[in-house]
Amino acid sequence: MDKKQRAFKVLLVDDEDIFREATARQLTVRGFIVQTAASGEEAIAQVNADPPEVVVLDQQMPGLHGSETFIAIKKIDPLIEVIMLTGNTSVDNAIELMQMGTFDYLMKPINIDELLYKIEDAYTRKKLNEKQQREAGQPRPLQS
Amino acid sequence: MLKKLATFSKKFFFLDQEERDPVLHAEEVEALRLAFKSRYHSFKLLLAANNRILEGMADIERALQGNEPFSMSFVQTRCTAISVNVFRMINDMENIAPGKYTALKDSFVAIQKRIDTLLGARKQIADRRLVIPLESLSSKMIDLVGGKMANLGDIKNTLHMHVPDGFAITAAAHEMFMQADGLQREIDRLFQVAGSDEDRNLDLVSSQIRQLIMAAEVPEPIYLAVVEAYSRMKEAMDGQEIRMAVRSSAFGEDTENTSFAGQYRSELNVSFSQFFYYYKQVMASKYSVQAIAYKLSRGFRDEDIAMCVGCLAMIDAIAGGVIYTQNPLDNKDDAIYINSTWGLPKAVVDGNDLCDLFVVSRDDNLTIQRREVQNKGYQIVCLEGEGCIRTETDDVLAAKPSLTDAQVLDLADHAIRIEQFYETPQDIEWAIDIEGKVSILQSRPLQQLEAVLPGPDLDLKRFESSLLAEGGINASPGVASGKVFKVAKKVDILQFPEGAVLVVEQALPAWAPLVARAAAVVSEQGGFAGHLANVAREFGIPAVFGVKDAMGRLHNGDSVTVAADLGRVYLGNIGPLLEWTRPEPKLMLGSPIFELLKEVSRHIIPLHLLDPESRDFAPQNCGTFHDITRFIHEKSVLEMFSFGKDHHFSERSSKQLHYRVPMNWWILNLDDGFTHEIHGKYVKLEEIASIPMLAFWDGFAAIPWDGPPAMDGKGMTSIMFRSTMNTALVPGIKSKYADRNYFMISRNFCTLSSRLGYHFSTMEAMVSERSGENYLGFKFKGGAADFERCLGRVHFIRDILERYGFRATVNGDNLDARMEGHDMDYMIGRLKILGYLTLHTRQLDMIMGTSGLVTYYMNKLTKDIDSLLTEAP
Repeated sequence: MDKKQRAFKVLLVDDEDIFREATARQLTVRGFIVQTAASGEEAIAQVNADPPEVVVLDQQMPGLHGSETFIAIKKIDPLIEVIMLTGNTSVDNAIELMQMGTFDYLMKPINIDELLYKIEDAYTRKKLNEKQQREAGQPRPLQS
Repeated sequence: MLKKLATFSKKFFFLDQEERDPVLHAEEVEALRLAFKSRYHSFKLLLAANNRILEGMADIERALQGNEPFSMSFVQTRCTAISVNVFRMINDMENIAPGKYTALKDSFVAIQKRIDTLLGARKQIADRRLVIPLESLSSKMIDLVGGKMANLGDIKNTLHMHVPDGFAITAAAHEMFMQADGLQREIDRLFQVAGSDEDRNLDLVSSQIRQLIMAAEVPEPIYLAVVEAYSRMKEAMDGQEIRMAVRSSAFGEDTENTSFAGQYRSELNVSFSQFFYYYKQVMASKYSVQAIAYKLSRGFRDEDIAMCVGCLAMIDAIAGGVIYTQNPLDNKDDAIYINSTWGLPKAVVDGNDLCDLFVVSRDDNLTIQRREVQNKGYQIVCLEGEGCIRTETDDVLAAKPSLTDAQVLDLADHAIRIEQFYETPQDIEWAIDIEGKVSILQSRPLQQLEAVLPGPDLDLKRFESSLLAEGGINASPGVASGKVFKVAKKVDILQFPEGAVLVVEQALPAWAPLVARAAAVVSEQGGFAGHLANVAREFGIPAVFGVKDAMGRLHNGDSVTVAADLGRVYLGNIGPLLEWTRPEPKLMLGSPIFELLKEVSRHIIPLHLLDPESRDFAPQNCGTFHDITRFIHEKSVLEMFSFGKDHHFSERSSKQLHYRVPMNWWILNLDDGFTHEIHGKYVKLEEIASIPMLAFWDGFAAIPWDGPPAMDGKGMTSIMFRSTMNTALVPGIKSKYADRNYFMISRNFCTLSSRLGYHFSTMEAMVSERSGENYLGFKFKGGAADFERCLGRVHFIRDILERYGFRATVNGDNLDARMEGHDMDYMIGRLKILGYLTLHTRQLDMIMGTSGLVTYYMNKLTKDIDSLLTEAP
């Protein structure tokens, strides 16, 4: 994708201010329209108010946990693709999250290019799913 | 003739097309296009996941060579990354061929369960006793009381040597202590918060955890059990209060390959009123900075180490020290090495002073071979009240041997008996009291190194002008060079640069964390029996101790060469000396984390599904993640192929390459591989937009093939393409992917399956702006000649590929070559090479018997390739 094609909305959710702001800046420079949220609750409000195409979601947050936030987002719109971020010490439920239908899974510290590719891929997937859903005329259920 | 056929086929083709196309409505075409796009996107994601799995497996294989330290988080993150990506591949496969391979999920779940069981396994302690007296201990109880106390049990109860009275506080007690008030949970949390093993602030975590342990209450059951054991000891001593040595006896400590030398706390001359304070100090020392660093570098998890504690009645030692029952620096030397000093043996192991050395040979009478009596300026003695002190020894005593000949022989006798009992060389700590009685305080396996002699033409005289210091003690053999970095205070540790030569005044255990990062160690004080020497030998770092005025004579930043075997330090990098190397120790081998990874890798790495043609090539036969990966990769390529073939959808049906003439190459466009939609039967080269395919074709068409067969004068073009020209221009609709030369392409992807002559090859390439996802795979098999010649060609091709940066392996007559992660230009160059080789290795199997011809072709091919690569793209 070139910079122009990346002009879609990405919601970045992380309670760690420094990481969130730095990553948001890096993604903005690369052309994305970046929204941020510092908690799961904030993220859900944001998705309701102004839905993004792709969500990048930290797993470990005080308050609403990453996986709970993920489920809530998918309930609002099952077509939104979610990429999970985790610290490398909590890897236990990676598979569980994949089974619930997260698009992919990245371990911190992240490589910004890798995140960029994942966001692009998630967006492509979302657009394909939307078109296919329109063809079929029915919504795609949550993967189980 | 060819023209005629082409014209004929053109007519045929248009007829054919008119029959099909009108059937599809615009919406149907759009739906099919979308289906293709969606499948291709899944395929692309699948390939990227496949690559990440291969990388993860390569990381694990590298780790299992045992040369580099790795932590538990390495094991966890690699396993998780692989699991996640295998799961991804299964999901993507489901999108490509819905419902067709659901059995893969069952295989996945079964494998994942086996891995989870291994990763989650915890050691269970069956014996719940909290305190066990020394009289009841033996080396069968290592899991209960740690190696140090278990071995002392043998020496006291089986060998009937004198060991001070005492008891062990067990692993069950450690567990109870750590579980009480959620202490362990809090420690785990502190580790997590501090970040990854590689970049956490060790000083901070270490001090937080130690404070936590020191603030904890000793649980009542432990307290009562200790009081009871102590009361019994006291009774036996007619009610006298007993001072104790409180020492660590942790799991993994004092074993053959891992010494944990000097990592943990030991406290001498402790009164009972202070006992629990020091008990906690020993427990806390599991989290000292050096212990955490050591654990990481040697492959121990936190939970692998139960901190058992030994309590022994204090010996008022006149002399003490360490016996090596054989030479640690030379496994062919079985003489007994007795290190000795005045006072407690602590002075010897702490390495801050010099000590005497007596070497006893094992002839019938035990002969004292060598006596090296040093000036022992200081000794460590028990204080009247509590604790110990390092005091100056008076000058007369300092210069005298710390042992009589009779005592030396008595100790040698003890040493031999202990060694015979354990059947391996031992490292024994001992003390002699005022009555001359020998007490054994510890015995553990001794790690022995192989002596490596210098090459025969090493002439030391040449370097004499660069000699900075000589006469040092070889504490750990080897030669290394680096820049001098002097460490005098703890704060210097933080500044220590990786690969520097560590120069210290005293060989203190506190410097241990630096040893693994240093090129070599030089110390003014200390002997080869100290903790630091032990650590240096364990890590294979050369060390010279007893170098007079090293701190004054060596200057920070100067390059020096440390030749430990010679006890010398030279200025500058002395090349010929540095060639005197020895194999690096494999530090991770046998450690708990290493063993765990090895176990886990058995469910990840082995490949059982080798032959796609075999009946066993099925989802339910996938026993490892590698099997699943291999299966999916194979099937996904075929599914993508047949999806194109099965849908009579002209813009996605396979096209025949038309390059001046119709060629025997078919092309299936997966997504955006053509410059525009092609409705006809043929596709021209200039209509192809696939970067990897065009690069391959560039290499294929660059240089004409000149034999065999010999040129027949019909011009370059005809010869060049003879092999790939088709005479029957009508493609069989149902032909299998492997039967022809098929390209499947998109803008950034290309896979080629080709049968040229009698060999079969496949090529797969992803080339885009995403350098990290770029890869190139090439497989080659078979030939018309006999097996040996085919093999010759396979090796011939491997040699060429390796020369140009491929990783290539040969298995039977299968060649498998790969490369990944390079930028677009580089990948394009490598694809040209593959294109070139595809044409030019044809029938080369025929000449593999003639070495002159092999050399000729090797030269020709590499020359051609070099010219291909230098051409402007």
